[in-house]
Amino acid sequence: MNLDDPKQYPSVVLLGLRLQAVGGDIMEREARICCSSQGLDPEDQIERSVFMSEFTPKERIMRLFRREPLDTMPFFSGMGMVVMPAIKKLGYHFAQVHTDANRLAQSAIWSSKLMGFDSIVVPYDMCWESEAMGNKISLYEDSEDILYPTIPEKRWKSMDEVEIPENIMELGRMPLIPKAIQIIKQEAPEYPVGAWQLGPFTQAGQILELDMILKAVFKQREKVEELLDKLTDMIIKIGQALQAAGADYITLREPGVAADLLSPKTFREMIKPRLTRILAAWESPKILHICGQTDPLVEMMNECGADAISVDIKNNLVETRKKLGNNVLLFGNFDVFALPCKAETTVEQAVEGIKVNIDSGVDAVMPGCDLWPDIKEENMLAIVKTTREYGGARPSPAVGRLH
Amino acid sequence: MASKEELLKALSDGVVNYNEDQVREAAQAVVDNGHDPLEAIMDGLAHGMEIVGGLYERNEYFVPEVLMCADALYAGLGILRPHVPKKEGESKAQVVIGSVQGDVHDIGKNLVKMMFDVAGFTVHDLGRDVPLENFVKEQLRTDAEIVAMSAMMTTTMLGMRKVIQMIKEKNPNVAIMLGGAPVTKDVAKLFGADGYAESAGNAVEEAIKMIARLREMRAAGQV
Repeated sequence: MNLDDPKQYPSVVLLGLRLQAVGGDIMEREARICCSSQGLDPEDQIERSVFMSEFTPKERIMRLFRREPLDTMPFFSGMGMVVMPAIKKLGYHFAQVHTDANRLAQSAIWSSKLMGFDSIVVPYDMCWESEAMGNKISLYEDSEDILYPTIPEKRWKSMDEVEIPENIMELGRMPLIPKAIQIIKQEAPEYPVGAWQLGPFTQAGQILELDMILKAVFKQREKVEELLDKLTDMIIKIGQALQAAGADYITLREPGVAADLLSPKTFREMIKPRLTRILAAWESPKILHICGQTDPLVEMMNECGADAISVDIKNNLVETRKKLGNNVLLFGNFDVFALPCKAETTVEQAVEGIKVNIDSGVDAVMPGCDLWPDIKEENMLAIVKTTREYGGARPSPAVGRLH
Repeated sequence: MASKEELLKALSDGVVNYNEDQVREAAQAVVDNGHDPLEAIMDGLAHGMEIVGGLYERNEYFVPEVLMCADALYAGLGILRPHVPKKEGESKAQVVIGSVQGDVHDIGKNLVKMMFDVAGFTVHDLGRDVPLENFVKEQLRTDAEIVAMSAMMTTTMLGMRKVIQMIKEKNPNVAIMLGGAPVTKDVAKLFGADGYAESAGNAVEEAIKMIARLREMRAAGQV
């Protein structure tokens, strides 16, 4: 699709334009021009999209968290969902969006606008805090592939060395996140802004070698507990700063503790109390996300104090819904490679996949992980459209519908 | 003095109970008493790791336990391996292994590497965050029979497809093994790989299966 040519905009983008038109005549005019140029009746299109979108994305997501009836099923995420069409439209390279607040904000805004997502999420990579603690990052500026920044070598070799700077929000790239949040709020006020923090165990794996920490769970338990406490304090503080900067909801993501890595017993004893402490210190709305095998963990996840639970494709959603009941907000869980990215997946298969996702009992369709940026546009647009039409046509377990 | 059977059991139990000291002592006793070091590796250490694989499969052990068992296995392997006699005129099988560029995780990779170490392969470990073309270069340089790649994230997984194409174009007989969280059987098939393991734990299971196969072949006198 050529983004400079309105004639090529698919109807979902028109819908997106209409969403922006709520409160803005200019975008509505643009939507009318797009409709006319495609030979569509603008009145009919706008009526259809008005029916589909009585709320702005922000109103929709805020109502979702309050479990109030919605106009349609939301499609959003608590994790990064930057896509290449937005980065290309803006004339950026993938490696350039992680080091500049405006690029970060613009790429996030345009990803959501072009694809019709219900929220805008920053940042994308997982190295912000570890970089601020003195580690060097690789940006892969020379690579042809889309690679997220990583920490190639960790400066600390043992848990004793870890020292978390008091002024971490001022170090490394950290000041860019609040700045990006503010830019998004100014330029796309109709969207909710999502921010996130890694949980303490996953963060520990970003600043020290993960295999050392995993073994230390048994061999040096007290030291691990002490380290997790330090990181818990840091995560609380950073989350509060991101909320103060204007994040409308926040996600605590702790993939490093899934039951294919750590035992549910270790989760209960070491992880759960700290996740609970973090969530208690943050304002609502807040999501707890764990990817990987979560079937043995979902009930404990639900006791951590989040407003919603998010899981990935390895979770048996139908069983999870049975365990948690219909009052709990449950988000997830489609495969971020198979449905939107895999070259061999047809639009029809992507649509079927999302219908299964919806039928499994979610209250909002959410990618199981960060969206992979190199999506196939036609698949991604169909996924969002199916969420609206198929998921919007009936109430979800925890959330009713207006119509 | 402990019998051979007692020493094999001490090695196996030491791996299962992640008791590095016990494994070290038993391995040294195998060497001192002139028992067959290869038998001690296969029927002691590898046998113990097989039990560990079962414990992982039954959710009794998780990755931390498996990593500690691996440490115990290596403690024994370091003592026993130098005493395995080299056969005349026989070149050892080789494997090129690494985590692909963009990925700094290597737990699964290291567990698979352990399996190749046990089996007596010459292991060319490229480490982690390895540029794609380095896999191809190293395979061509060493003429290794197997290339094993690991990726933790979807973004990095896609790079493996390129490597497989590059290698298979030049040398279609190379066996390719993929591993990592986002890798499924379908993905491995789609990318043209010959084997796969979806997580660090699965890598252990896969490794166990390969070790078990090796032990059977050895029992049948094929190796």
